Amino acid sequence: MHKIKLKTLFVAVAGLFVGLLLAYSISSQISPTTTGGLKASKEGVSEDLIDAALKTYVPPGQLDEYYLFASGGHSGQLFVYGVPSMRRIRSIPVFNKESAVGYGWTTESKEMLGDFAWGDAHHPALSETKGDYDGRWLFMNDNANSRVARVNLDSFTTQQILGPVPNVYGPHGSVFLTPNSEYFMMASRFAGPIPYGTYSELDNFKEDYKGVMAAIAIDPKDGEMSVGWEVLLPPWSYDLSDAGKGVSDGWCFLTTYNTEEAYHLLEVESSQRERDYIMAINWKMLEQAAKDGKVKDIGGAKVIDPMDVPGSVYLVPCAKSPHGVDVTPDGKYFIGNGKLAPTVTVFSFENFMECVNTKDFQGEERGFPIVNYEKTRVAEVEVGLGPLHTQFDDKGNAYTSLFVESAVAKWSLTDFKVTDKTQVHYCPGHLASAEGDTVNPDGKYLVSLNKLAKDKYLSVGPSHPESMQLIDLTSSKMKVLYDSPTDPEPHFAQMIKADKIKTFEVYPKDEAREGAVYAKEDAKVVRDGNNVTVYMMAFRSRYYPDAVEINEGDHVTWYITNTDFDEDITHGFGIMFYDINCESQPGQTQKLEFVADKAGVYPYYCTNFCSALHQEMQGYLLIKPKS
Amino acid sequence: MKFLQGKLSLSGRILLLVAGLCLIASTYFPLWYMSLDAPQYPEGLSMIVFMDHIGGRIDIINNLNHYIGMKEIAESDFPEMQYMTYIAFGLAGLAFIAALVRRVWFGLGTLVLLIIGGGLGMYDLWYWLHRFGTELDSKAPIIIPPFVPPMIGSNDVANFVTHTGFGIGGYLLGLSICCMIIALWRFRTWENKENDSKPTIQA
Repeated sequence: MHKIKLKTLFVAVAGLFVGLLLAYSISSQISPTTTGGLKASKEGVSEDLIDAALKTYVPPGQLDEYYLFASGGHSGQLFVYGVPSMRRIRSIPVFNKESAVGYGWTTESKEMLGDFAWGDAHHPALSETKGDYDGRWLFMNDNANSRVARVNLDSFTTQQILGPVPNVYGPHGSVFLTPNSEYFMMASRFAGPIPYGTYSELDNFKEDYKGVMAAIAIDPKDGEMSVGWEVLLPPWSYDLSDAGKGVSDGWCFLTTYNTEEAYHLLEVESSQRERDYIMAINWKMLEQAAKDGKVKDIGGAKVIDPMDVPGSVYLVPCAKSPHGVDVTPDGKYFIGNGKLAPTVTVFSFENFMECVNTKDFQGEERGFPIVNYEKTRVAEVEVGLGPLHTQFDDKGNAYTSLFVESAVAKWSLTDFKVTDKTQVHYCPGHLASAEGDTVNPDGKYLVSLNKLAKDKYLSVGPSHPESMQLIDLTSSKMKVLYDSPTDPEPHFAQMIKADKIKTFEVYPKDEAREGAVYAKEDAKVVRDGNNVTVYMMAFRSRYYPDAVEINEGDHVTWYITNTDFDEDITHGFGIMFYDINCESQPGQTQKLEFVADKAGVYPYYCTNFCSALHQEMQGYLLIKPKS
Repeated sequence: MKFLQGKLSLSGRILLLVAGLCLIASTYFPLWYMSLDAPQYPEGLSMIVFMDHIGGRIDIINNLNHYIGMKEIAESDFPEMQYMTYIAFGLAGLAFIAALVRRVWFGLGTLVLLIIGGGLGMYDLWYWLHRFGTELDSKAPIIIPPFVPPMIGSNDVANFVTHTGFGIGGYLLGLSICCMIIALWRFRTWENKENDSKPTIQA
């Protein structure tokens, strides 16, 4: 009896145990406790989240509505994102070397980069026609080496780097284009003795150190940049700029800080005045002065002394070390973002012109008239702490980033009242709304370029990525839709409707192109003394020639033409131990130059996966030793 | 041989004219096409055969074909392309003459020549399809069994699905033949000795 009872008990306990195990496994299947992972139930998910997911989800095979071009800061590159998915589509090397594409290795890109291995990319600007983006080019400045680059938007490649532009120490206040892309202005962040290389003690700061604004002219045919003219300015720091449009076309505006003219401990010393200035410059007047020859040559640039052109430069007082200056889409107002004051100051261009025309000045500094502040200012909007930059929508609203408050304030351009505020994470610098700095903004989306991410992504150690947050502007309340981490460090971005950009898919065949070969019979190695030129052809999945014999000490010029005229069939070309790699896009001819200073056998191969027989795409560079 | 002695009615002559025009038009339009679809070519790659040249993305198709050891497709390998257009123009000329002289026997001769020409063209196409699909280089990196794509239809080759068919030019040729047959078959009239100069119009 006992035995049977024991057995029953044992079976019962075992059964219970198995049952519990089963129940646990089933219940964990039904409601998994871990966050993330695949879960396709709307249950318990708020309507807001579902709305955000639907607004940002771009299914496989579908394309984004906008391109977002964000500068890469001190990484020197340019990032291309799709909006609203916030997927990164491309990183374009601009002021940095990029081995994957051979940028900084090919002869052409090496010449463009010159002696610099890095740049500090700040403000991308899309070319404009009649104040609207035309999708042709993008210009971006290098704050570190006073350069500026042009990226052609038919191929998304850097095609020109201009500079160092003479006399402009740290052109932070660029690139902001005039409405028909006649010019953009480059204003110096640092005052310095000019031309470059001049030595002068800091004690001579007020006399010998100059601020300079350069007007970079753009060829309307091909976007080629050249230094138009420059204008001498006081030794203040020029922060940002914007060009007038509509009624204010012909003028440009610069924000200033350190009008205290300090040169030590600027954090404190340049923050003493309650108001610095927005400088208003009549660039058409200066352009005429340059044409009339009222210039002198400094460091190879035509430099205008504005004292020779009275009425070309005015000062507008603005609180306090203002950061961004932004012209409204209709060109009627220019807005100073207070940075160290919790306000944005709205100035009327019409009132400003009235002051100019009636000589309604409240004083002058360094020879420049200061216009009547009370008259020019139409509003001081209490937006919040640390206002840096303002963008616009299509409904007469402005959006200002609040760095200190980690927020974006929305305010009205009709009654200058704040109507909404949303928290962002964390510390936003610039904002970019859809076509938000044109005469015709789209509204719809706003991207907040945040300097800190902290806890918003999986941790990657003490320093975290920068963060771009997509904000929905379609309702009266702003809504953060999506967080997108990014590499250092987008300062500013431009958002353009995708259909405005027209790319080409293959480089056209051009028999006249230097070094190009389009038939294997034409591929060859030509020797002239100890100069060797290789005319190589690459197509799936072979090189012609696939063995090149040269001598130690030869100077080698190597052309690679990709004769796959087929979208996205890109070939790479890397040579072992010679520190050489580049890519050749469909139809493209690349040029490399090097000295064969090491004898031996060096395999070369296709580095960009091209086909099923990519791994077989290889050859040998045989370098005979000097006997 | 009464049939051969007939004359063409006005409608018959118009049909012959149309036949000639179709022939001329066919030289400007694709005769035949092959379109290749693959997962990585969602937009498709096409080879379009005209009377005197080959259009489409023949460079890419050739490059891909070398993986399976297919001979390169080049216009210079098709000597018939040098004179096919002239033949078409010649036949169109004959059709116009037939319409002019109204002789049924002349029209019939033109038709026979056209049918022979069309037949040879079809044979030619089949011959090249067969040759390109079966004479594959045995040293090719990827070995696939020999194949002959149909003149009209679909076929699978490795990762590609080929769709083949006649183009507008091909259909115009067919239309031309049809017009001639109908003209010669239905729209004839018989010589009337008394009324030689006044042909009866019979439509």
